[in-house]
Amino acid sequence: MKTTILRSLARLASRQAGRLWALGLAAGLAVTMASAGPAEAHGEKSQAAFLRMRTLNWYDLKWSKTTVNVNEEFEITGKLHIMNAWPAAVHVPDRCFVNTGQPGPVSTRIYVGVGGQFTPRSMRLEVGKTYEFKMVLRGRRPGHWHTHVQLSVETGGPIPGPGQWIDIKGNFADFTNPLKLLNGTTIDAENYKVGPIYLWHLFWYIAGVAWVVYWFSKRGLIGRFVAVASGKAEEIITPQERMVGAVALAATLGIVIIFYAIAASSYPNTIPLQAGDFTRIQAIDEPEVPLKLKYLGGSYKVPGRELTATFRITNEGKEPVRIGEFGTAGLRFLNPDVYTTKVDYPDYLLADRGLSLSDNAPIQPGETKEITLTIQDARWDTERLSGLAYDVDSSFAGMLFFFTPSGTRYPVEVSGSVIPTFMPV
Amino acid sequence: MLRFKSTKAGAAPVTESIPASPGIEGGAGANVPQAAPMGAMAGAAASPFTSKAEAAEAVRTADLLLIVALFLIMLGGYHVHAMLTMGDWDFWIDWKDRRFWPTVLPIMLVTFPAAAQYFFWNHFRLPIGATFLLLALLLGEWINRYVNFWGWTFFPINLVWPTSFIPDALFLDIVLLLSRSWIVTMVVGSLGFSLLMYPNNWVILAPFHQPTEQFGQLMTVADWIGFSYVRTSMPEYIRIIERGTMRTFGKDVVGVAAFFAGFVSMMVYFVWWFIGKMFSTTKYMKAI
Repeated sequence: MKTTILRSLARLASRQAGRLWALGLAAGLAVTMASAGPAEAHGEKSQAAFLRMRTLNWYDLKWSKTTVNVNEEFEITGKLHIMNAWPAAVHVPDRCFVNTGQPGPVSTRIYVGVGGQFTPRSMRLEVGKTYEFKMVLRGRRPGHWHTHVQLSVETGGPIPGPGQWIDIKGNFADFTNPLKLLNGTTIDAENYKVGPIYLWHLFWYIAGVAWVVYWFSKRGLIGRFVAVASGKAEEIITPQERMVGAVALAATLGIVIIFYAIAASSYPNTIPLQAGDFTRIQAIDEPEVPLKLKYLGGSYKVPGRELTATFRITNEGKEPVRIGEFGTAGLRFLNPDVYTTKVDYPDYLLADRGLSLSDNAPIQPGETKEITLTIQDARWDTERLSGLAYDVDSSFAGMLFFFTPSGTRYPVEVSGSVIPTFMPV
Repeated sequence: MLRFKSTKAGAAPVTESIPASPGIEGGAGANVPQAAPMGAMAGAAASPFTSKAEAAEAVRTADLLLIVALFLIMLGGYHVHAMLTMGDWDFWIDWKDRRFWPTVLPIMLVTFPAAAQYFFWNHFRLPIGATFLLLALLLGEWINRYVNFWGWTFFPINLVWPTSFIPDALFLDIVLLLSRSWIVTMVVGSLGFSLLMYPNNWVILAPFHQPTEQFGQLMTVADWIGFSYVRTSMPEYIRIIERGTMRTFGKDVVGVAAFFAGFVSMMVYFVWWFIGKMFSTTKYMKAI
């Protein structure tokens, strides 16, 4: 009896398996789609910690506005340090491109300059140098958009920098993209020559359809197949149809040649697409830093989201110095004893009390101190930098910023290996 | 050739004898099979049609279903092939250069049309293979450019318009029609298919090659549009344009590129004609 019931159930399940599977799939899809929100980032967190910490350091970043109207311009400015700690896993940036990370062309790019050079194409940057950059964008599509700076490196891929939310207000239909040509005329690049593009394609599409319909209407497929199969292949096309073909050929060639000639005479001064890289980008001429640093060792505590790093620091300058900030991968960890006022920077990247020192007293001129930095914040985790504990060479890198009482700032690149402390099991 | 319909209750017996094919000028349904007379139904064999008009209508419907199905299948297959092989050169206006664009596109696009020409010409004597395929491709491309590139991501159409190829396809088809030889089509048609691409597209491309000065740099309108409309995942260095050492003919490199593409297209046509021969079939039609 029991066996019979089980067999019946098995048969029932077998019969309903397809329906159950489809129901499960539909339910799964519905749940997934219901929980899907709009994409708000550009994958920067998915990149390995060592890649983000040891390739570049963006600092002094400023977004001139975070709310603009359609057609209104805003700027992103800052400095870009190419780290000496550049990892062997990525090719050095001798062919790279400063890009904008945003969800499609929500704003158009008016200008990108590195070291004062307009760089609409790729360029060569040198390891160990720092470059000033400026980006001018123009609001295009209304919305709330996360806009990054980004350096794309050939064979290495994009390395997104910090991002800021930009609100664009107004009406998309009002957007214009004026462009002045060498002949003095100004065009709107947003919809320039869209009409002729549609017309030219439409004209030839109709011609193509007419050709196919003309032949298809001559007995279709089955009728012709039967005729060819019954040995009438050579008779099926009439001399009149060949004449139609010849006329169509002449018309096709004639139209292409005539319109080509019209286009060539209408636009006599054309140039090829412009190519070629910029190889002499001017780096910032930085003053010599009167500090000597030696990294003595450090560790990363996975449970505490805490990096500790010990340095022996000698001040060879004339003013006392204090460590005010550690920056890495776009994150800023501030020493609250130095930064006493609020810093304008995206919150998700700003740990305004993230840096503490074993000795917070200034390093006097001629003095040598061993100082342990404790860099602790949940952002190690939320920005997925805690992965450095699992990197292939377990190293960190970043910029330390020293400050003097007179307001001078010394950025110093630091790096070194760390010993991880893992979660207790 | 036709399977006979069994006589069921309610099915009208065939009373009209359908005459033989009226000839090759007859249009769709001209060669419809004859319905068997009543007497011939002995042995459970009879025409599936009750009249000539019904037979013609069935053939016409089958023709339409076949051509629409073929169009959609070709649209999918050819479009995927095109996107994978010529992709960016066709997607973006700042990739439509004088060297790679007129070289890569004809070579990659003469493929499916060659196979389609075998199929349509050898089995149906229809000189429409190339045009049919390019119509399918262009429809797919326009749907993609309008819905995806413009509708979803707001790239302007003047940045993403597809390359015009219908005149090239007409040339290929008409050479086959007039020569009745796939060898001549391979040599003359493929060459023309490649040579026509640049002048045909220059009609809409020329305005985008006008010069402009931006912050001390000379750019074309196309360069500017490509720079201005941000493509986050497309750094400039992956743009493969104007590279190489083809300098012998000075600045006139388009002709050299187009002739080179033409010669390679001949070989590609040859191979794909035989791909069409090997992989196309009409066995299901024979079953009719």
